[in-house]
Amino acid sequence: MVIKKEFNKITDWLWEIPKSFRTDMRVPARVYVSKKLLEKIEPDAIKQIINVASLPGIVKYSLAMPDAHTGYGFVIGGVAATRYPEGVISPGGVGYDISCSVRLLKSDYTEAEIKPYLEKLATEIQREVPSGLGRGRKIKLSIEEIDKILEGGVPYLVEKGYGEKEDIEYCEEKGKMLQADASCVSERAKMRGRDQVGTLGSGNHFCSLEKVEEIFDEKIAEVFGLFKEQIVVMVHCGSRGLGHQIATDYIRIMMQAMPKCGIKLPDRELACVPFNSSEGQRYFKAMCAGVNYSWSNKHMITHYIRKAWGNVLGEKANLGLLYDVAHNIAKVEEQDVNGQRMKLIVHRKGATRAFPPGHSEIPERYKDVGQPTILPGTMGTASYVMVGTEQGKEAFYSTAHGAGRAMSRHAAMRAVRGEEVVKRLKKKGILVKCRSMKGIAEEAPIAYKNIEDVVEVVHNAGLSKKVAKLVPLAVIKGE
Amino acid sequence: MKKYEILEHKADLKIKAFGKNKGELFENAMFGMFKGARYESEREGIKREIKISSPELSSLLVDFLSEVLYLCETNKEVYQEIQFENLTEKELKGTLIGKELKRMGVHIKAVTYHNLDVHQREDKTWEATVLFDI
Repeated sequence: MVIKKEFNKITDWLWEIPKSFRTDMRVPARVYVSKKLLEKIEPDAIKQIINVASLPGIVKYSLAMPDAHTGYGFVIGGVAATRYPEGVISPGGVGYDISCSVRLLKSDYTEAEIKPYLEKLATEIQREVPSGLGRGRKIKLSIEEIDKILEGGVPYLVEKGYGEKEDIEYCEEKGKMLQADASCVSERAKMRGRDQVGTLGSGNHFCSLEKVEEIFDEKIAEVFGLFKEQIVVMVHCGSRGLGHQIATDYIRIMMQAMPKCGIKLPDRELACVPFNSSEGQRYFKAMCAGVNYSWSNKHMITHYIRKAWGNVLGEKANLGLLYDVAHNIAKVEEQDVNGQRMKLIVHRKGATRAFPPGHSEIPERYKDVGQPTILPGTMGTASYVMVGTEQGKEAFYSTAHGAGRAMSRHAAMRAVRGEEVVKRLKKKGILVKCRSMKGIAEEAPIAYKNIEDVVEVVHNAGLSKKVAKLVPLAVIKGE
Repeated sequence: MKKYEILEHKADLKIKAFGKNKGELFENAMFGMFKGARYESEREGIKREIKISSPELSSLLVDFLSEVLYLCETNKEVYQEIQFENLTEKELKGTLIGKELKRMGVHIKAVTYHNLDVHQREDKTWEATVLFDI
């Protein structure tokens, strides 16, 4: 058991367990937290952050964000970069829900203008965007069609007539990982994905109508196209069964390949192989295909939301994409490491990329201010739009991805009934659409850490800066 | 004898399954998984052949449950029984008996190896602890 006093304070927002703490650590373990949040991190999560520090090829630090909590092998809210090309790649460092991401759509409306239509909009979105639980979409795509999505991503769907050209520009990687190879994805993964393009899923996945309550940086908000009282739409979901199957398949493959590669690890869920091994390459190409599927899923959800929007507000009602950013992903990136330019394999699991102003990989429109990041709260609390900064360099330009759970689903269900949550939120002016009351109780705001504590750390540590605060008006949950 | 228990876990679904023998253990782990995530079904009479081989018993349980989830998701079915033709430490062959899936409470993303445990107790009965990502 790791005792919290083992942590050395680096700054008020950054704490470190030195490399000397355990003999198998190759780098120190660093956690971005306030003293208050450090007290709340589970001992198991700390152990996982330390375990990751033992991965072959890891560079600089094993990092954790302020919303970190225990995951499988890797902590959720963790960042690990390994040396390219021989450092390891691990499906556990990406997560089962490959490229789970959050996107934000901007409307031209204010709260006052949308209020009379709120109920109708929420109902219409719920109708157009199914959860896909037990029931997928009515359309079942062929394997050939799935292959095209896996390799072509968002640009392929735009070409097919769905969505707008701008949807490509404002998605991370322009909605398409070039390294994707559908032949590395199993038939069973594709089978699981056939009727799930354009479905939300369940658990903490949702779609919400929010209003911009507060602007912290007028200049950047203007560049992002945000204004006070504006209605925006947030979508949080991932690659559904297809991504989960890729992870399951490759964890199995890697566990069998590890002895051959001479890798021994403290936890089976850390299963990994050198990036440049054949198994490593195949996983990376399959993961990239999973990422394309995930963005395509959100692109189609956006298409259906726009349809619902148009049905209620008329054809001209506009919903432009602000940004879509993944928080379960591994990427090859060039970064400065101790003053030297280095190619790295950066794993972000429950952590978001946050590139600084001037970075070549962010859309032209945002280049002078930095990459937008979205920090979703719960169905009853605020969310934040933030922006990447140069200070994020020590964290491989990464930031937090949400509030992080504080209570189990069962404990949440015991603590509060779904009907009670709906009533309380209604009093706060928030409408909830979900077919399952248990589902609502499981995701009740009390089950999560306070998002304000997380925002305080990332803002003050400079991982990303506050641009705007959003509050929910209507939440449409999968189930 | 109890079939399974649903354990506390902050973000996911954790179960403990029991069985007089390995076959019962595997079947009860499948029950616990479906019940824990509230997978509901109707209409009976579905049969699916299943055949798996894995390096050792705990991996076999994970691979078995992963296969059941795959069949459940792609065929929209829930299974309540498995008739084994063969079950060893490394291999499993049998028939799943199921019903049409009506709805799910939460969607199980995957079966994990996190704190996975499969062992025979002193009284010769079996016990397994499995965590599912949801």
